[in-house]
Amino acid sequence: MDVDAEEGTLLKFAPFQSTVDEGFWHRLSSLKLNKLRLDESPMPITGFLAPCSHKQVPSRLTLLAESLPSEDQKQSSSLPATLNQGNRNRCPVPGILYNTNTLEGFNAIDRVSLLETEAKKIWDDIHNGKVEESSSVLLRFMVISFAELKNWSFCYWFAFPALMLDPAARVVSLRSASQCLSLEQAESLSSACNEWQNLNLDVTAGVLFFLVCIASDSRVTLRHLADWEACMDDGQKVLFGFYDPCNVPYPGWPLRNYLAYICIRWGLEKVHFLCYRETRGFADLGFSLIGEASISVSPEWKTRDCTPKAVGWEVNKGNAKPNFISLAKAMDPTSLAISSA
Amino acid sequence: MVLKQKIHEAFKGAVESITSHRTVSAFKEKGVLSVNEFIIAGDNLVSKCPTWSWESGEPNKRKPYLPADKQFLITRNVPCLRRAASVEEEYEAAGGEVLLDNEDNDGWLATHGKPRESKSDDNENLPSMDTLEISKKNTKKNTIQSIPSYFGGEDEDNIPEMDELEDVDNLIETDPATLETPYLVAHEPDDDNILRTRTYDVSITYDKYYQTPRIWLTGYDESRMLLESKRVLEDVSQDHAHKTVTVEDHPHLSGKHASIHPCRHGAVMKNLIDVLMSRGGEPEVDKYLFLFLKFIASVIPTIEYDYTMDFDLGSSSS
Repeated sequence: MDVDAEEGTLLKFAPFQSTVDEGFWHRLSSLKLNKLRLDESPMPITGFLAPCSHKQVPSRLTLLAESLPSEDQKQSSSLPATLNQGNRNRCPVPGILYNTNTLEGFNAIDRVSLLETEAKKIWDDIHNGKVEESSSVLLRFMVISFAELKNWSFCYWFAFPALMLDPAARVVSLRSASQCLSLEQAESLSSACNEWQNLNLDVTAGVLFFLVCIASDSRVTLRHLADWEACMDDGQKVLFGFYDPCNVPYPGWPLRNYLAYICIRWGLEKVHFLCYRETRGFADLGFSLIGEASISVSPEWKTRDCTPKAVGWEVNKGNAKPNFISLAKAMDPTSLAISSA
Repeated sequence: MVLKQKIHEAFKGAVESITSHRTVSAFKEKGVLSVNEFIIAGDNLVSKCPTWSWESGEPNKRKPYLPADKQFLITRNVPCLRRAASVEEEYEAAGGEVLLDNEDNDGWLATHGKPRESKSDDNENLPSMDTLEISKKNTKKNTIQSIPSYFGGEDEDNIPEMDELEDVDNLIETDPATLETPYLVAHEPDDDNILRTRTYDVSITYDKYYQTPRIWLTGYDESRMLLESKRVLEDVSQDHAHKTVTVEDHPHLSGKHASIHPCRHGAVMKNLIDVLMSRGGEPEVDKYLFLFLKFIASVIPTIEYDYTMDFDLGSSSS
C-alpha cells in the first residue's frame, strides 16, 4: 500500500464498474413499446452508487428499474424522488441513455464525440459552480444501447467520462488512512463519516464529495464543498473526501474529475484527499486511503474555453467492446403468461 | 413439480387475497411474524447492518398491507467467493476449518465463522438443519454440472457482429492513468484454482401466507452478468439446492429469482426460539431477522451478506 518509495509516479485510478439489474431492461422494453416507440432522443437516467463496503468486490454503479422514468408519468413525478431518499446504499448519479432503434444505429454512434459532449458538461459544471450545488454531477455517466425486442436481447456500453489532466497528476503519498491519522483523529473522522451518512439522508445533493476538516484539537468535521474557503480561513487541515467505490489500494475513478474540479476551482497544486470506504456499512479507516497528489497543469488547461481530452468507455471482459445480454428466458411471453396465470 | 408449484402458488394467492394479515403476535408460539413485527425487525436490521435497506420495488407489485417505502429489504453486490459445494467438500476432507487458497493468503477461513459456527459450536443446543426433513443423499459434486452461461455460452451465436474499433483514443485501455484492473479473472468453467467472485443481491420479502420472511437471490457472474438460476444453485448448500430452493416470480421485482421456500421457516424459527428460551433468554421480536439470517447462512454458506456477528438474541437473564 505504501507508494512513498515511488514518489512522483503517475497517480492511477481504478476504473468504474457497471451492473444492470434485470428490472432495468424490463422497464426499458415496456417504455420502448408503449411510450418511446421510435423516439431516439437521449433520455436522462439515474445510476446508483455507494462507498465500497466489501473488501472482496468494488462497489458498482448500478442501473435499476427506478433508473428509468416510470411509464405512468403521474407516478414518476411523485414517487421515485421521495422513495429514493433516505437510502444510503443508493446515492443517485446523473446519467444519460442513448438507445438506438437498430444495430446499425448502435454501431454508427460516434463514441469519441459523444464522450467529449458528456465531458464538456462536467467541465461546464465545474466552471459554473453547479458542482457545489450537487457534487454528483462530477460522476455523470452515459450508456449507449440497442434493445432487440424481437428476441429480448440488449447491447449496451457504459462510459464514465473522466477529464484528463494535462500533464497527468502525480502521487506524492498514498497509504491507509489509519496510518496517516492519530488515534483521536481517526476516531473522530470515523464517527463524523458515519454521522454524515445519516445526516445527508434527506438531502441527496452534496453527499458523494465532501471536505474533511481536521482541527488542531484532532476534532474532525465534514463539510460541503462550498465551505472550502471558510475552512481555509479557520486554519484547519483540509482533506478532499469522496465515497470511493474501489476495493484495491488505489483511488477509484471519482477522484479523476474531483482533482480537475479542485485544480480549476481552487487552483491547488498539492491536494490531500481521502478515499472513503466502509466495512459492513461503517467507516473503515484501515481500508480507506489518504493520499497527496501533485497537479501542475498548463495554464491554458484551466481556461474555460479549453476542452480537455477525456477517457472513460468501460472495458468489458478485458476488451473494448459492448456488453450483450439476452433475457429471452425471463421475458418470453409464453413463460410469462404461465407464471402470471 | 412445476405444475404442482403453480397450483400451490395459485392456492396461496387465493388464500392471501381473502385472509387478513396477522395482527396478533405469535412470534414465540409459532416462530411467525405479523406484518408490524416484520417492519420492526426490518428497521432494526437496517439500523444495525446499514448495507441492508428498505425498498419499494415495482409500483404495480406493491402490497397494500406494507408501507410503500418498506415493501422489502435488500442488500446488493454481496461477494460470494466460492461455490457452496466445493466448500462442503473441502470442509469434509479437512475435517474442519479450511484456509482458502487465494493468492493473498490472508487467511480466509472457509467456515467464515458464521454458518459453520452454528453447526460446530452450538451443535448440541441448536436444532440442526435436519428439522427441514431433508435427506443428505445428494451432497456429492455430481449435482453440480458446468452449464453454459445463461447469457453467453450457447447463446454466443446470437451475439450480433460488432464493428471493429478504429477509434482507440477515447478508451481507458490506452490511458496511462487508468489502473489495469488486477482483479479480472479468467473464465475457464472447470478450473477450480480460479477464485470466482460472484456477487449476489439478497432480498427479504414478507410472505403473507406463511407469515415469515422469505429470501430471494439474484446472482451475477465474475463479469457482472446475470447468473442463470441453475448456476445460482451452486451457491446453495447441496442439502437444499434442489429441494427447498425454487425459482419463482419475485413479489416486488421484475423477473424470476431463486428463493428459499418458506414452508418450514416458522417451524425452524420456533425451534431456535425455544432453545433460546430454555437457556433463560427472552427473545425480542426486533432481533428476529438476525436469528433468521443466521439460520439462512446454513443454506447459503458462501454468500457473505451482513448480520451482526455477536448478537445476543434477547436479554439473557443468567
